[in-house]
Amino acid sequence: MAGIDKIKLKNVYSALTKNKLDGLILSDVNDMKYLLGDFFCEGEATILIHKKGILAVSRPLYENDAKKAYPQLKFIALEEKQHFEIIKQAKALKLKAVAFDEAKEYYAQAKEYKKAGFKTVSNFINSVRATKTEQEIKIMKEAAQIAYGALLYIKKEIKAGVTEKQIALKIEMFMRERGATAMSFVPLVSFGANGANPHHFPDDTKLTKNTAVLLDFGCVYKGYCSDISRCFWFGDKVTPEYQKILDLAILAHDTVVKKAKYGMTGAEIDSISRGVIEKAGYGKYFIHRTGHGIGMQDHELADISQLNKNKIGLNYCFSIEPGIYLPGKFGVRYEDCFYMTAKGIKQIK
Amino acid sequence: MTETLNKFQKYLAKNKLGGAVITDILTVNYLTSFHFVSEGDAFLIVTSKKATCYTKEMYLIDIKNKCPFLNFVNSLDINVLVKNLGKQAKNFVFDPYASNYINGTTLKNAGVKEVAKLTSIIREVKTREEIKLIKKACEISSKSFEIFKKQLKAGMTELEAAKLLEGIMAKLGGNGLAFDTIMAFGKNTANPHHANSNMKLKKEMPVLVDFGCRYKGYCSDITRTFWFGKKPTQEFQHYFETVFEAYTVAANALKAGKSAKELDTLARNYFEDNFEASKYFIHSLGHNLGLEIHERPILSQRSEDTLKENALTTIEPGLYFKNKFGIRYEDTFLITKTGSINLTAVKIKK
Repeated sequence: MAGIDKIKLKNVYSALTKNKLDGLILSDVNDMKYLLGDFFCEGEATILIHKKGILAVSRPLYENDAKKAYPQLKFIALEEKQHFEIIKQAKALKLKAVAFDEAKEYYAQAKEYKKAGFKTVSNFINSVRATKTEQEIKIMKEAAQIAYGALLYIKKEIKAGVTEKQIALKIEMFMRERGATAMSFVPLVSFGANGANPHHFPDDTKLTKNTAVLLDFGCVYKGYCSDISRCFWFGDKVTPEYQKILDLAILAHDTVVKKAKYGMTGAEIDSISRGVIEKAGYGKYFIHRTGHGIGMQDHELADISQLNKNKIGLNYCFSIEPGIYLPGKFGVRYEDCFYMTAKGIKQIK
Repeated sequence: MTETLNKFQKYLAKNKLGGAVITDILTVNYLTSFHFVSEGDAFLIVTSKKATCYTKEMYLIDIKNKCPFLNFVNSLDINVLVKNLGKQAKNFVFDPYASNYINGTTLKNAGVKEVAKLTSIIREVKTREEIKLIKKACEISSKSFEIFKKQLKAGMTELEAAKLLEGIMAKLGGNGLAFDTIMAFGKNTANPHHANSNMKLKKEMPVLVDFGCRYKGYCSDITRTFWFGKKPTQEFQHYFETVFEAYTVAANALKAGKSAKELDTLARNYFEDNFEASKYFIHSLGHNLGLEIHERPILSQRSEDTLKENALTTIEPGLYFKNKFGIRYEDTFLITKTGSINLTAVKIKK
């Protein structure tokens, strides 16, 4: 239920201080969800966090509930043109350094903020969100448990004749019955050559004996995502090529688990798994990043890729999922999620 | 070539626009029928003759196969895009309500012009293929509700009941939810934005369910309010009928060319003329939907839009009595030249 999370709010305030800001405008639904929980729908509110508190400008529809759920929140009821009211309030509060998020605010409203002399920040709450609180990691472990449970269950359900769609649905139902409120993304089930496309969506392809199977799924539990991938050969005549490639993906994954250290950048961690796969001669078939941040959303900051030259901080959560895709043949990917500790990365499970 | 892209290209030609820059991922998916996962995964440049997709390598193999009608640039740098536009930029448009400040500023500085309703212009009127998908989403939701009603039992919490309904929709082929299901029991029905709780269902109380699923990205939207038990209070019954009548009056008036504001007024006046209840009708009458649950036009007092053939609208009047109960009745309609088609029609038990 709703309520302002004090630890998260404290983290936002220290980030404000660090950036020499005394006010921050937010209207992105996930930014607001991070602080306030599930309350305002997308596009229906703008909030201003300032030194002395938080004010929200939103539709009158929310007024009664907002006052009940957030007694400390100043609520201003307004159907539209909320951004002008935010500017007015910021002026009245005599704030000196107010910022809006240039990656989140629409140009139409943001240009008015700019005119009012406000500063820009980029993905501000996302940066704060990258460092998970203990409570968040605890929930993410629960979300992961549901997914790992689904993996054990679904292995028994995979039989000749089933379709990708049927397996995807069974995974979804299993996780829902255990408390998942949504899927992190449409469960991916790929048979045979379909797996060579990392974004293949489950279709009516039927499973036949001696085929490669790729599973990639996760659920949303208490607002947080899990994400795992596993691959295996269905049938007793596994081809030497498949076994070799699968072993290589697992080796790349396990090498990251052993060698990733606190202080490394996303690029440095990516290089660990890429190095393993390149050394074996399959570098050009590893066509995506090693991993992505995860939390309230399935993809968050904390990219484990060559593009991320920033350090992966303590309690950052991310996936490690090296994959190798042989067009026309099959694809493999091996994925778990981890968080960074002073002693290296720890699996979220 | 997708029907949606073709339609938009004809629009560009007809209006003598050089082209459009599309930066929001839903509209990119809409025009290409490809499924990009996250905001920022792709940009699209569309002219009356050509469409170019800016994206990253991971997507290229797949999208080159699925969308051979596109040209590709392996970059997600808005500055590269602007540089490629060159002098043509000043004949291009973008939607300031669908571009973030970074992209909007870069485009604006390059001379690209703002068109405030560009996204609605592209997505408001649905193609045949889209209507098919929305119909399917509506059918899944309607059928699910029938099954759900039979399985709903006293003792279930709102959260459990929502999970039950969502599970049925998934089983019948829904791909996720159009929005978080609102499941309200008893007094909680009085709050149109109720967040599901652990309140348990008891015999003889109202139940309000506002829900919808997605099918291949497209939304459906239905609300039903009913009395759980055998003896609805007279008051509940009375206002249920009032809401249903307002719904009927508005639904019967639907037709391409009608003004969105007038329709809202129609329902509001009905409430006012009957029992002076309009002050309990605290939201707008309805909205278009598609890839998003709320699309333009909105049927409200502030709207200046008119309804177009093959656009959709919900009709969802409601009355809310604090600390007592609330009632809302909602279906999703396809607007036609001569009237409308109810896509979420399930048997109505008065």
